[in-house]
Amino acid sequence: MSSTHPIQVERLTKRFGEFVADDEVSFSVREGEIYGLLGPNGAGKTTLIRMLTTLMPPTSGTAHIQGHDIVRKKSAVRRSIGTVSQAQTTDENLTVRENLSVQGKMYGLSGRQLSERIELRLNQVGLWERRDQVARQLSGGMRRRLEIARGVLHSPPVLFLDEPTTGLDPQSRRAIWDMFGQLREHEPHLAIILTTHAMEEADFLCDRVAILDRGKLLCEDSPDSLKRKLDSGEKVELEADHEITDDDELSMASVGATNLRFVTPTLVHFDARPGEGTGRRAARLLEDRGYHIVHLKIALVTLEDVFFAYTGRALRDA
Amino acid sequence: MSSTSKPKPAARGVALAVLGVLAIGQRAFLTLWRQPVLLVSTMVFPVVYLLILGNAMNRQLQDVPLAVVDEAGNAFSAECRRGVLALQSGRQLVVAEFVADRATALDGLRRGRYRGVWVLPFGLAPSGPPPSFIGDNTDRFSFEALEGALRQIWTEVAAPPGVQAAPSVRLEAYPYLDYLTYLGPAVVCLAIFMGSMVSGGLQVLEDRMFGYHEGYLVTPISTGTLVVGNVLAGAVVASVAGVLVLVCVVFFTPLPLVSTASLLAAVATVFLTALSIAALWFLLFARARSTSLLRGMFGIINVLLFFPSGALYPVESYPNWLARISAADPLTYGLRALRSLLLRGAGPPSVYADWVFLATFTIVCAVLTKVLFRREV
Repeated sequence: MSSTHPIQVERLTKRFGEFVADDEVSFSVREGEIYGLLGPNGAGKTTLIRMLTTLMPPTSGTAHIQGHDIVRKKSAVRRSIGTVSQAQTTDENLTVRENLSVQGKMYGLSGRQLSERIELRLNQVGLWERRDQVARQLSGGMRRRLEIARGVLHSPPVLFLDEPTTGLDPQSRRAIWDMFGQLREHEPHLAIILTTHAMEEADFLCDRVAILDRGKLLCEDSPDSLKRKLDSGEKVELEADHEITDDDELSMASVGATNLRFVTPTLVHFDARPGEGTGRRAARLLEDRGYHIVHLKIALVTLEDVFFAYTGRALRDA
Repeated sequence: MSSTSKPKPAARGVALAVLGVLAIGQRAFLTLWRQPVLLVSTMVFPVVYLLILGNAMNRQLQDVPLAVVDEAGNAFSAECRRGVLALQSGRQLVVAEFVADRATALDGLRRGRYRGVWVLPFGLAPSGPPPSFIGDNTDRFSFEALEGALRQIWTEVAAPPGVQAAPSVRLEAYPYLDYLTYLGPAVVCLAIFMGSMVSGGLQVLEDRMFGYHEGYLVTPISTGTLVVGNVLAGAVVASVAGVLVLVCVVFFTPLPLVSTASLLAAVATVFLTALSIAALWFLLFARARSTSLLRGMFGIINVLLFFPSGALYPVESYPNWLARISAADPLTYGLRALRSLLLRGAGPPSVYADWVFLATFTIVCAVLTKVLFRREV
């Protein structure tokens, strides 16, 4: 089991006094999978990562990394993981290569093996040209890439990324996303847990996403399935050149439009299940009946909507 | 398990521990290398300390303003006045002013114009009345120096002619040392203290605050390795500062009795002292979370370690409670060893006992740190 599920979490709970940071969280991550933990600040993502990386003991529950218990086999767990945390783990006074050299020794790498590994990883994150630059001179995005290179330096089977693109500008964020694509090509078995509060990031990077809110895991699935499951679905705005009759309204409902709301006699808002093209079908139906469609807007479901549906709150207000 | 094929497995056990210590040392060295100002500042403080304190405290008192009121006007008072003038031109202890009446002199004393008033009363004679000294005791140093000097003048004036006490025999066991030289070993200790604070205590704390620490904690190296690595790294940096200051002391103060053997032993003492202080810093910060603690602690630790060590004043004269602090203070032993080696030219065997204390202190601190250290954030 552990060879296909390098990360297994069972009812993991962390309490700080009365406050429950993580409440019986269970999930498992397959080999080669990027698993996203999505949630607002304070949802319990970082606490969860800290427990899984042996930085914090759980109050109850268990978890296994590569089959090693996170409480009883800490050093085996530490050997199996790489981490990129929110903390600043790069020494600004050291060069890119020196930072990796210090880190590599901590994992028992030395000599030629270490220097070859450093070259490999720096090439993968696109920092080889900057190997002798002092870390202080790197941009935020480059520094994050250096931290990711550190995380995978010793070729761990499991990588934890705690908000890898928080605080970066869109370009740097994009560069890091692209880098993940390359990393997966080189390391097809690497299991990655990634926390984020950026929906588009989870959507773009993750094979599966779990929504975590107030310490509880509310749901988990692929981003597409999560969106498809969402009942409220797509939001459609449709405006015709003349008044839509009750009869035609019923026909629209028959092709899948639900919760029709007339803003004016000619402008209607309705919901539709995602991925079924209901908005366009309803528009075509009205055109066949002699209407001219002056305005059609179909808002696709985003993970943001999924999050809202599960938590009742927008991610940014949370 | 792992995706890339490994040519050889990563080191474990002792080999991993050695690599871990090397990694921490590499980082400490590079940090210092990139910021030489760190080392310079740790050394500048003790050297400035030596120069300022040495010259401020070493000085004999000079030019203390004294008012003399001669109400007697007889042969004895004339002798006394001659004595005061001799004090002024000879040792230059006083600047004397002869004031006509007592009221003016005392008024001057209250206004801070004089540090003392010497009244030679009407009818001054060895059988009485004697001269009286009214001193400004807000300044103990001047008060005592004046009182002593004036008492001596009167003793000489009042003694029957022809009678003179034989001077006591006085021998100095070692060549002449001024206070500056006496301070030399203390300054080396101060450099060690500063160096171990900057590279040991402060570094550990900063690592923890900014999260670098976390990067260490998630790696497979053991807590023991972390402790040993950090203590060693701190001690090496502190030793560099200590040895550099030691070189300054050897060059700039006269140390006639120093031999090569005692110099080498002094370097070893510097390293052992640095180890013990670095271990102490790490122990103090084993659980600390913020630098505000350090800010508060630095002053206290500085006072608790530096002053009881006998750096400025002999340990033997301390009250009981202070002597106890002194006995537990690693700087006491480092300093005593350095003084023996540098000032008295004693051979290395004379300081073995001090070395044993320093080594034991280091080990006890390291073990306690290992126990207290929390591998969690």
